[in-house]
Amino acid sequence: MKAKIFTLSFLSLTLSAAALAQTKTTTSEDSLNNNLSKSATTIGGYGNAFYQRNNVAGTSRLDLERFVLFTGHKFNDQISFFSELEVEDAKVTGGESGGEVSIEQAYLKFNLNANQYFVAGLFIPRIGILNENHLPNTFNGNERNYVETFIIPATWRELGVGFYGNLNNLPLSYSAGLMNGLNSNGFVHGTGLEDGRAEGRNATGNNLAITAALQLNINSFRAQISGYYGGTVGVSKRKADSLGLTSGIFGTPVAIGEGDIMYSNGGFSTRALATIVSIPDAANINRAFANNTPQTEYGAYLELAYDLLYPGHSLHAKQFIVFVRDENFDMNAQIPSNGVIDGTLKQNHIVAGFTYLPIKNVAIKADVRFIHTGPQNPELIVNPNPVALPYQVNNNLVDLGIGFSF
Amino acid sequence: MIALGALSSCATLPAYKTAIADNKVSVPVSLFAQSNFQLIQPKNSYYNIGLKKEPDGTYTALLLKCTHADNQLTATGNGYKCSLHGSAFDSEGQVTNGPAERPLKKYTTQIINDQVIIILS
Repeated sequence: MKAKIFTLSFLSLTLSAAALAQTKTTTSEDSLNNNLSKSATTIGGYGNAFYQRNNVAGTSRLDLERFVLFTGHKFNDQISFFSELEVEDAKVTGGESGGEVSIEQAYLKFNLNANQYFVAGLFIPRIGILNENHLPNTFNGNERNYVETFIIPATWRELGVGFYGNLNNLPLSYSAGLMNGLNSNGFVHGTGLEDGRAEGRNATGNNLAITAALQLNINSFRAQISGYYGGTVGVSKRKADSLGLTSGIFGTPVAIGEGDIMYSNGGFSTRALATIVSIPDAANINRAFANNTPQTEYGAYLELAYDLLYPGHSLHAKQFIVFVRDENFDMNAQIPSNGVIDGTLKQNHIVAGFTYLPIKNVAIKADVRFIHTGPQNPELIVNPNPVALPYQVNNNLVDLGIGFSF
Repeated sequence: MIALGALSSCATLPAYKTAIADNKVSVPVSLFAQSNFQLIQPKNSYYNIGLKKEPDGTYTALLLKCTHADNQLTATGNGYKCSLHGSAFDSEGQVTNGPAERPLKKYTTQIINDQVIIILS
């Protein structure tokens, strides 16, 4: 009897499975993906390490600056997940400063059609060049450019939703985002907006930010404009009033404007970017938090590069790119009446060197960064000479390193 | 879902939209009278096909899906770009910038009765 029941159950299961197999429909996506990999989960990553010699200080250091793992998963044709897990400086030890483990991106992507999609979660808005495209084999120099480090605090990610699209009749892409805002209480003198970011950790929801970008891609030319506007006071109205700050969604705002171009032809390539940050209520932030917040910051750079191996170029050719980049930025271009000017935050960097790519995903880099800053403000000297060495307005860093992505 | 549907229907795009039948996409040759490139949007698909007429009269059909993390690609005129991690491909689908390492999926094409037939296999 038991054997009969087992046999009937087995037959029933087999028939059900056969019926299900017969009723399985073939979608457009199935047709498009014939003979392509069926794996729903993808893994990738990038990293870079370099040696740096500070010739004025007479110091040298070696650092695995970043190691990042991508993980993505495609749930179905419409919904997928992307993430990046980052370790900076190789090691994080409890009770010691230095190093960082962070989620650089973790968002769901909802495809609307072949040209438009939403993202929701921790995502990187389209601001500048480096924020979206920061793989070390795609930019020259061991260090990222300082304009997109201190003025645009790349890699800048926040929690929210983003909408992305392309036009078919024009080579134009567009994006818009709504995300948590910055925290002006976190601003630190000399680091721009960087320490005001929440980056996914307990962001305040009372203040929000919007971003938008337009990007034109014509052959090997790209032009982009982007903007950001957001509040910086996420505390309750009662607390904000007591601090003399304006709260609300866009209270005590930060505004950023940015424009950039990229062009390549033959072995030649160039990129240029300019950006400005405005914090009109900086005086109120300073009065509340005493963090010497500026009213205006700006930055710009121009890079020229040439691939010496381009003649006789083939798709799988090695590249040996020589480059020079001029970076200018001022993190206190305009300060409020209760601020203190810091000349060292107005800087010019000339970076020159080479990037050798034996294959497109692996880079060996060498460069020298000549730094010139404004003078130190005596009012800001905490440890005067001889307790500390006199400040040097000229310095140079020599970098040698590797980078990769996959 | 209502919001998703509304936005989707707002997309009035001039790409050539067509259905997939028997694992094939059919495109009129006449679309190439003025240009040697046409974006094809198979119905109910989340990826376009870039269809290019070559100087010898043959056609190259590429699935505009990044081979790194499956993101949709943007046609630039002389190739395709991915905004997700910066990968780029030339008009033949070969990688010009990583992190993608594999070329784009290329479909076989035939010309039958003034139609370019893209065979999705």
